[in-house]
Amino acid sequence: MSWSPETVARAERIMQRYPERRSAVMPLLYLSMLEDGYLTDDGMREVAEWTGLTPVQVKSVASFYGMFKLRYTGKYLVSVCTSISCMLRGADDVMAAVEDEAGVPHGETDDDGVIAVEHVECIGACGGAPAVQVNYELIEGITPEQARDLVRWLREEQPDKIVADDLQERFGGTRSFDWAIRETEGAVGPFPAFGPYGTVAEEDRS
Amino acid sequence: MADLVKITVDGKEIEVEAGTPVIDAAIDNGTYIPHFCHHSRLEPVGLCRMCLVELETPRGMVLTPSCTLPASEGQVIHTKTPVVDKAQEGVLEFLLINHPLDCPVCDKGGECPLQDQTLGYGPGESRFVEEKRHFEKPVPVSDLVLLDRERCILCSRCVRFAEEVAGDPLIEITARGNQAHIETFPDEPFSSYFSGNTVQICPVGALTATAYRFRARPWDLRKVESTCPHCTAGEAIEIDASQNQVLRFNGIDADATNQGWLSDKCRFGFEFIGSAERLTVPLVRDGDGFRESTWAEALDLVAERLGAVIESRGGEAVAGFGGARGTNEDAYAFSKFMRAVVGSNHIDARMDDAPAAELLAAVQPRATIGDLDTASTILLWGPDLKEEAGTLYLRVRQAVQKRGAKLVVVHPRRTGLDDRATWKFTYRPGTGFGTLEAFASGAGDFAEARKALDEGPVVAVVGLTGMTEDPTLATAVAAFAAGLPDAKILPVARRSNTFGALDMGCAPGLLPGRVSFGDADAVAAFEAAFGAVPDHAGLDTSGMLEGLANGDLAAAVLVGADPVRDVPDGALARRALEAADFVVALDLFLTDSSSLADVVLPAEGFAEKEGTFTNLEGRVSKVNRIVAGPGQTQPDWSILEEIARRMGRPMGFDSAETVAEEIATVAPAYADLRWRDVERKKPEGVLLDGGWYTPKAPAGPDVDADMVLHLARTLYDDGVAMRQSLSLHHLAPGGVAYLHPGDAERLGVTEGDQVVVVGSAGEATLPVRFDPSLPAGVVYVPFNQAGVPSLGAGAAVEVRSA
Repeated sequence: MSWSPETVARAERIMQRYPERRSAVMPLLYLSMLEDGYLTDDGMREVAEWTGLTPVQVKSVASFYGMFKLRYTGKYLVSVCTSISCMLRGADDVMAAVEDEAGVPHGETDDDGVIAVEHVECIGACGGAPAVQVNYELIEGITPEQARDLVRWLREEQPDKIVADDLQERFGGTRSFDWAIRETEGAVGPFPAFGPYGTVAEEDRS
Repeated sequence: MADLVKITVDGKEIEVEAGTPVIDAAIDNGTYIPHFCHHSRLEPVGLCRMCLVELETPRGMVLTPSCTLPASEGQVIHTKTPVVDKAQEGVLEFLLINHPLDCPVCDKGGECPLQDQTLGYGPGESRFVEEKRHFEKPVPVSDLVLLDRERCILCSRCVRFAEEVAGDPLIEITARGNQAHIETFPDEPFSSYFSGNTVQICPVGALTATAYRFRARPWDLRKVESTCPHCTAGEAIEIDASQNQVLRFNGIDADATNQGWLSDKCRFGFEFIGSAERLTVPLVRDGDGFRESTWAEALDLVAERLGAVIESRGGEAVAGFGGARGTNEDAYAFSKFMRAVVGSNHIDARMDDAPAAELLAAVQPRATIGDLDTASTILLWGPDLKEEAGTLYLRVRQAVQKRGAKLVVVHPRRTGLDDRATWKFTYRPGTGFGTLEAFASGAGDFAEARKALDEGPVVAVVGLTGMTEDPTLATAVAAFAAGLPDAKILPVARRSNTFGALDMGCAPGLLPGRVSFGDADAVAAFEAAFGAVPDHAGLDTSGMLEGLANGDLAAAVLVGADPVRDVPDGALARRALEAADFVVALDLFLTDSSSLADVVLPAEGFAEKEGTFTNLEGRVSKVNRIVAGPGQTQPDWSILEEIARRMGRPMGFDSAETVAEEIATVAPAYADLRWRDVERKKPEGVLLDGGWYTPKAPAGPDVDADMVLHLARTLYDDGVAMRQSLSLHHLAPGGVAYLHPGDAERLGVTEGDQVVVVGSAGEATLPVRFDPSLPAGVVYVPFNQAGVPSLGAGAAVEVRSA
């Protein structure tokens, strides 16, 4: 049940940020997802040990937030925003296209364990609606056809790393902020590539 | 005390402490505000929204929860406006969306806050036509508590109790949104010693107790207030019974003692009362077994045989064991019986497992449980309170957790309070005196803790850390505490009414009312009252057992005593009872001890008789009857009176109340204390004054050995009340030898291997479990577990691989 030395080193760096051990619970949960692909019981036990909480307290936190996954969510988690702006710009059709192409409904992972589909609440990209995320990497202005292409491409190519700008170029339409900082880090699994949460390796963070 | 403020509730001005939640202020002053999540012993959380009230503000009336509203000067609150009514109707309509209407088969139906408040404040009809939530039911959250999740209204009382009060946060609300529910982690049940409290505070029938589930309807229950028969803290309880069967204990919120809480042993340890194995007729020895007899025959036989021993060998050839499992009245009758009828001071309610009787009965300055709420530092040098006095454990925990009191724990092993201790010192059993000397001098690591004790007020909780400890160490610790500038002493010992029994003179050196043989005037008064009293102190339990075993004593009277299971050297107890010419036992069951008797007389037990208990702070509270004893059982006082009459020396009792009357007349510390005075003060009872014993520091030798034994009690064990309480018995840890991993390595054993522990009076083969909290060279064995031979009280032991 123990973590790899690399994950342990990251956890130690995270712990240094928090004078109260229990405050580190959320970043450590991301680490645990990085380790196992999703939050396993053993992973939550490990987090409990690091934070001095009981496992069920960790689970209470983990099960409260939608982005902590308690089940395996594929190699690629495709999240379609269906909040109002995206909905007005055709998100329901995008969602239907993704579900149809992936062959699974909201909340499920396909039989090969490659693609999981979910609809999500606002992901802050209303200016580029409709928007979709793959492993939390953003694509804006997507059409139902592009969404089908995206799912097919993911299944065929199965890239090791997902980078938002790259996806946007292949499958996106109008972006909300053309002047946005170029995003090159990319995600290596169905969890956000957030530096402070330790889910990006130190060497990638330049 | 905080400042008083005036607030107005529904036009009535009331004065309360500033900061009190308005809901508590209103309810305490006669205005009921409905609520589910709020509990006056838990922190306010504002979850259920049922307690909404209107508060007058400069911006007009504001609807606000009254549980999270602290009282402040000049507040004007309205609890019964149309807006409040509408809000409460809305809350209830929402709660009833998912709450099932299975009230006819729900344990809570009939005493359910949700039912009652729906009647009082509900909308009358629901607009909800969709399907309710469904869950698998029931799921066990512990061995004793079951959960029906669809009934849960997510008030989080259980969750908050587990974290805030019990310190076992093993139960939580998980899954956000529509699927939110109470859950424990896989393979990590809510195995708290206090889990049963959640059943009592659950405002719906979501949490139910295995011991009570489907057993009764609340409106069929008869109820009586009483005092817990298990630990010595004197918890106020309500006994519920139906059809002459005790079905449930619930805690009563007595501020002075348990504040509503009970340990699971106290809560569920009622099953022994209705056990099918209860004795119902007198038994007389017949060869290797017993035959049933009439009361007349059995009593005649006892009077004749005891009389013969007294005639040939003198009264002082008779030993009396017990008294701690009955009422004060029973204990007094036993004490008087031994002194006035038999003529012996050989009587002891302690089973060789408690500190000096004077320390327990008459120490001064003596602390109350409530003093823990104001102490700046608490010194705990005694048993692991979590194992031996659950509600006291909760009280100490609260003092540290809520108020920031400093806590010093000195113990041979980890204790339940270690996670809250400011300072924790671990020492090897047998080195207590040396440790105390170093501690008192404030040497080295002890410096800070020692300094904290000089700044009062201090409460020193003092008792035996284990059974291999020299009992005088507790006296030495108490003497140290008594020498501090501002400290009081709270003595602790095990076994329900031990303190009451000692107060009643069931001790070799004490007469009823905490009278010492050194007090010539008081002894003379007893001689006048009793006819005669032997003029010197008698033998204690181990002395009596040795005397019986070697023939110095000839007969024994056991009153609710099971020395074979209860004393550290059970083999000696067995030899003693076998060697005795005559043994009579008053008991509820055929125990390992009473089965060695010549005559066994069936006694009434708890809930079957009336009387009083005295707790560890010297607080007297009432014990009440709600069911009839099975078969031909009689109360102890009555059996002893019958024997006394047959021996030609009647004691003059014809009811428990006449015994109480005599206690009020002759026992100094209980002077003029009558049942009605105790009843009037319920549920708290009457706190006695009358300590005279200032402990003096005895010095003892420390034990030096490679391996020493820590022999201590656990909450659940193989005692007779536990064995006969089926819900609890399987929870006992069983025979285990805990070793430090280093010692285990030295011995060449690992977890699960068998080791032989050779103690001073016996040996046992036990599986090894690691316990890194133990000092090196210490083996810890839980006392009185099924199938484990007794090891004896000697600290030095030998441990080898089996």
